[in-house]
Amino acid sequence: MSRAVAGSAAAAAAWIAIATFPQWSREWDSSRYATSVIRDILIFAIFAGSLDLLVGRAGLPSLGHAAFFGGGAYAAAIVGQRLATNELLVGLAAAAIVAGLLALVIGALAVRALGIFFLMLTLALAQMVYAIAFQATELTGGSNGFAGVRRPSLLGIDLASADALYLLVAVIFGLVTLLLWRVTRSPYGRALAGIRENERRMRALGYDTRTLKLSAFVLAGVLAGIAGALSAYAFGFVSPNDVALGTSVTGLVIVLIGGAGTLFGPLLGAAAVLFIERVLSSAIGFSQTVLGVVFILFVVFARQGLAGLLRDAYARVRP
Amino acid sequence: MIEVNGLRRDFGGIRALGGVDLRVAAGERRAIIGPNGAGKTTFFNVLTGELAATAGTVRLAGADITRLRPWQRARRGLARMYQRNELFDALPAWENVALAAGVRHGTYRPFASPSRAERSAALAQLAQVGLGGRADAPARALSHGERRQLEFALALAQAPAVLLLDEPTAGMSPAETERIAALIASLDRSLTLLIVEHDMDVVFRLADRITVLHEGRTIADGTPDEIRGDTQVHDVYLGKGMGT
Repeated sequence: MSRAVAGSAAAAAAWIAIATFPQWSREWDSSRYATSVIRDILIFAIFAGSLDLLVGRAGLPSLGHAAFFGGGAYAAAIVGQRLATNELLVGLAAAAIVAGLLALVIGALAVRALGIFFLMLTLALAQMVYAIAFQATELTGGSNGFAGVRRPSLLGIDLASADALYLLVAVIFGLVTLLLWRVTRSPYGRALAGIRENERRMRALGYDTRTLKLSAFVLAGVLAGIAGALSAYAFGFVSPNDVALGTSVTGLVIVLIGGAGTLFGPLLGAAAVLFIERVLSSAIGFSQTVLGVVFILFVVFARQGLAGLLRDAYARVRP
Repeated sequence: MIEVNGLRRDFGGIRALGGVDLRVAAGERRAIIGPNGAGKTTFFNVLTGELAATAGTVRLAGADITRLRPWQRARRGLARMYQRNELFDALPAWENVALAAGVRHGTYRPFASPSRAERSAALAQLAQVGLGGRADAPARALSHGERRQLEFALALAQAPAVLLLDEPTAGMSPAETERIAALIASLDRSLTLLIVEHDMDVVFRLADRITVLHEGRTIADGTPDEIRGDTQVHDVYLGKGMGT
């Protein structure tokens, strides 16, 4: 038990260090820029963490997860505009409901298929969501995107400042990580692992695996929608790219580089990918190539991802 | 307990099961024997619902389950030990068992902690099949014999009313076969057993009655003594298998 307590304490300390980054880095020249990058890392970590519930836990390789991220982003933006409110709870609720409903519809069709067919169905159905976002110009802004999303406020507390928004993202990241930790260690999470390992046997044991998979798909969709809403608030803008295949692929790349089926893999993966895409890309012109090579190296040599490498290194130095 | 009437299963033009009739009383130990290709495993697959019946009915404890899905049949008390191991390879042995037992406590418990009672029940189940010391080993690290034992533990952890055993001693050493046979013999009489098995010593030792399948049909059905004396059974199966 003492190891579990030590692990929780270390995780809590790490979270506090992340959440207070704008304060303790204030004197640095690049503090403001770094704050915005870490904020986006946390948003993508939520997104990838929700995807990992499917990929790493239940063994469901979804290539359509951007539908829920973008769906949530559009929902928060459009509902805020139509109701003329920047109330956070309204935006998050709209994002969760729309993403959850999208996941219910797409999932109900996709969980009937297995393996590669599941992958292709999620891809095809997500592309339909993309087509709608692209063409429903009066609702979404079409190819121009949806501009002018206002920064949120929570029950009258203004969260418009960069530091307040950063703290909001850090808090939601912490809550989502806690939720995923709780869920994956529950009997429900074990049942999802059972589906990953041997779905046929799960059915023979009396589990309705289709409904189980659908429930995980909807939960993952809701969490991805919340990440999308945070993205809309952070950028003040929602573009069709948020619903596009590229965002789904980024999610999968983050999960695999970070380590599928691990709690901190999504955060580590998001940090690695966004570092390459944001920071490295301003220094060198071939950062996308670097990302590709890094991805290949991880897939070939380190299937357990960054989380797995860290775990192995820790096991080696531990007395 | 199990009542099968006119059960048929076709694969394209091939008739794998050509009308099987079977009645197994509660608590009975029924062996199903026959040469390879007789349809024994297909018969089990139709009973559990993994294959749909082309015609005929299956009743479990009086209720028609012919159209139910596999997981629905399992919840009504029909469990199965597979011929080829179907385990959760990455999970420790005790979590394999906990999954089998857990379905009775409800599938949707996303906020529950894995309880100590759950683990100790799984450990007791593992001890019963002789795997007491291997609870924390992942299923993939177990030997073939140990994996058969774990298969057994899963089926028992479901607390079934009817248990289908598909070649429980296949590929086991004589000592392991003896342990599994003793375990089957020790099972509570409230449990109804259907056993497909090639080891005739095990069959004649355990079975109350024996059903003989040949080319997808029932050709004999009786007590072990009756089956031993059946000339048709000798011709198609026992004559070759037993050499007596």
